[in-house]
Amino acid sequence: MTRLMEWYPIYLKEMLLFKRKLFKLGYLFSAMVVPLIYLVAFGFGLGRSVQTGRGTYLDFLIPGLVAMSSMNNSYSWVASSLNLNRLYFKTFQVLVQAPISPFSIMIGEVLAGMTKGLFASVLIMVVGFAVSTHFRVTPLFVMTLFLNCFLFACLGIVTGMVTKSHEDTSTYSNFFILPMAFFSGTFFPVDRAPTVIKWIIYIMPLTHTNMLIRSAHLDGQGVASLVVLLVYAAGFFAYGSHLIGRYSE
Amino acid sequence: MIEIHDLSRTYGAVKAVDRVTLTIEKGEVFGLLGPNGAGKTTLIKMLTLLSRPDSGAFTVAGFDASHPSEIKRLIGVMPQENNLDRELTARENLLIYGMLHGLDGLERRIEGTLEMVGLLDRKHSVVSHFSGGMQRRLLLGRALMTEPAVVFLDEPSIGLDPQIRRQMWDLIRKARIDGRTVVITTHYIEEAEILCDRVAVLSKGRLIALDSPAGLKTRVGEYVVEFVNDEGRLIQHMCKSRAEAQDVSGHIENGVTIRRSNLEDVFIKLTGERLE
Repeated sequence: MTRLMEWYPIYLKEMLLFKRKLFKLGYLFSAMVVPLIYLVAFGFGLGRSVQTGRGTYLDFLIPGLVAMSSMNNSYSWVASSLNLNRLYFKTFQVLVQAPISPFSIMIGEVLAGMTKGLFASVLIMVVGFAVSTHFRVTPLFVMTLFLNCFLFACLGIVTGMVTKSHEDTSTYSNFFILPMAFFSGTFFPVDRAPTVIKWIIYIMPLTHTNMLIRSAHLDGQGVASLVVLLVYAAGFFAYGSHLIGRYSE
Repeated sequence: MIEIHDLSRTYGAVKAVDRVTLTIEKGEVFGLLGPNGAGKTTLIKMLTLLSRPDSGAFTVAGFDASHPSEIKRLIGVMPQENNLDRELTARENLLIYGMLHGLDGLERRIEGTLEMVGLLDRKHSVVSHFSGGMQRRLLLGRALMTEPAVVFLDEPSIGLDPQIRRQMWDLIRKARIDGRTVVITTHYIEEAEILCDRVAVLSKGRLIALDSPAGLKTRVGEYVVEFVNDEGRLIQHMCKSRAEAQDVSGHIENGVTIRRSNLEDVFIKLTGERLE
């Protein structure tokens, strides 16, 4: 195997484990239940009174749910499994002791997280096509989705490497991922938020994913959001690789 | 094969490994003997690049820690904990491991490895369905699958019943016959005496003795005089020769036994600790 493909066994392992989970009904249910609850609660309930500026609320909500789902699944799968594999199952140590680079470990884990995030996103997209006649998947939508999965899988690596117990993973999720899901424009437009809150909202990467994923084309604001996402992705990737490279028990 | 110089590692206030210096020769079975917390596993973790030393240095086949890939290609590791992927089959575990190590002819190697550890008929079974002994054998097989020059075995027979333990010992002897250097940590005296060419005795992170099992016994005392004192405590007195043991026993009124020493006696004499 060439150095360029050193990541593949890690990806293959994660996919073999993922395949086993897919055959369990509970997994599919758990991947879909949260976005579906939001869809019902907001899309068919609270959100009816929300003015989004253009189209129906469902047209606004579905891309946001896809972005949120891709974030949740890419992040949680990687953070949780890396944390468990490092601290409890010790299978991460097999990777560290193999003659492959930390960069390859990072790539393998991130690609596996992305695949899981994309899988969950596709499930929501199928629901989106069923309930919203205006839901469209454009090349910009697909690119943003991939970038979002990559970014949050990288963040998952960082969390999985720095947490000292499995409980810590939930804490990080409650402090960073959950607020992001609600305040980054998934459910409501962010442009009417108070100025101070808006600054905080614009720091969150999911805000820029939501803006970009809803754009019909890449305008000036879209380019700015793309740059923010790329900077976050590069930062998380570099830091995750660094943490793997510096790993020591 | 392995040169260790002044290696230290501290966790908080605890010196897990404290300035250990030793050399492990090519082709020998080298034992690290000590009770829990003696620093055996920490030493192995440093030599297998899982843990960074605070100070000191080591080389494996001439490569120091600044050449991690070269060292990793030379070693096989069987950890104390079971770090197999429990939801994968035996074949899948070996497949992933073989790919990580860039092996060719994987299916042939997987079959050979599973046959060696007696698990060929369980090739497609999920590891979580294996007994503890089967999982330990698969771990050993995985460590040997890459045909490494050095095999590190951290408590290879821990928790195994005597029959399976002997099967493990056969596999370890075979590794030595195949020319591999074997570094084994254990707190089983019998294991160290039967398998090891040389033994390093560790206590509280420090190397306190290093010799062959026979050499250690000769140095510390080949005979033990044992008796129970008035308070019910077992008293052991180590003697260099049978004549000395008989002389010592002559001063004790009754209930005295003279026997040949074992490594545990040596260990207790050297450290004041008992192996548990």
